[in-house]
Amino acid sequence: MPQARTIPGRDAGRSRLTRARLALVVVLAAALTLALVAASLLGARDDGGGGGGGATGAAVFGATEVEQLLAGIPQEGGVLGDPQAPVTLVEYADLQCPFCADWAARTFPELVEDYVRAGTLRIELRGLAFIGPESERALRTALAAGEQGRFWHVVELLYMNQGAENGGWVDDELLAAIGRSVPGLDGEAMLSAADSERVGAAMAEAAAQAEAAGVRGTPSFELGPTGGDLRPLQVTLLAPGEFRAAVDALLGR
Amino acid sequence: MTERSLRIATGALALVGAGIAGYLTLARFSGVTLACTTGGCETVQSSAYAELLGVPVALLGLGGYAAILATALVAGELARLAGAVLALAGVAFGAYLLLVQVAVIGALCQWCLASDAVMALLAVAAVGRLAPESVAALVSRLARPTAGQAASR
Repeated sequence: MPQARTIPGRDAGRSRLTRARLALVVVLAAALTLALVAASLLGARDDGGGGGGGATGAAVFGATEVEQLLAGIPQEGGVLGDPQAPVTLVEYADLQCPFCADWAARTFPELVEDYVRAGTLRIELRGLAFIGPESERALRTALAAGEQGRFWHVVELLYMNQGAENGGWVDDELLAAIGRSVPGLDGEAMLSAADSERVGAAMAEAAAQAEAAGVRGTPSFELGPTGGDLRPLQVTLLAPGEFRAAVDALLGR
Repeated sequence: MTERSLRIATGALALVGAGIAGYLTLARFSGVTLACTTGGCETVQSSAYAELLGVPVALLGLGGYAAILATALVAGELARLAGAVLALAGVAFGAYLLLVQVAVIGALCQWCLASDAVMALLAVAAVGRLAPESVAALVSRLARPTAGQAASR
């Protein structure tokens, strides 16, 4: 019986203690959360400010689609796909050319999914910059990303965000947004490498190859066995079917 | 519901959470694409909010789950308090990140959502460890009406 009187008192003391402990836990957790949120907001603001032009830190349009399309496919400079792939498709393109962007949106993804990813086709882009200064700036940025194995990511994102020719669309804001939207790409390193002599030499080489191939407009294509004789590929619609038929013929299908 | 069973639950949930955060951390450092049905994982992971003072949030989460796991392996009062603080802060910070995903980034990352769910359960278990007798009382109160009905028939 004496025990019955002492237990309620002990229980009350224990529940006061529990409440005090819970209050302590909540206060500490709130303080920790506030510190984390403050650090996060501060970091996001710094990132946006560093991007310049009032960039918000959000990813560029198309970042998810491009990453899904290209993830896991080897890239070496302007070449996409297995170096041992039996067939090579060369494209001459200007990143400001609307037909090139159209081909990139309609046909390129299908070729990547069905041929490049399967290891039967490698695609090489030889970039030209004849439309204007913005073509050169876009191409230099893509070639600089190529030094980090992300040439095609930047090319595709530029096409997806293409504006009017020399209308000012290739600006600091877009290039910074692309730089931070591609997984595995150091955006700042890309931007600072864009003006390098290496990139200039790569541009000159592609221009010389286009000259030798007699390229008169973009996009122009050459197709052939890898390491062998590439021949001009005449296409009228830039549609997937024309490319599939030509590649299948070379593959003996 | 004993302190021991809540401790086991805390440890198991912390392991699951560490698995999710570990996968996200690995993907971030290796550049591997995330398996993602919402299509928003890469967008979220490449946003400015995926890092905290230069540390990937995924790595921070991995550290958090590891610390909570450590508190589940220890029996003392200090471990119980630390576990509850970490799990509650984890839920609150996860809620903030969810808000950022919806309102700022405009994309959802399913792995982050899975982590949020695990962290919420973890908070229940970890806070419950502070007052196992209250949890036990709650469980028996929830169980009693059914027991009473069965007895009255």
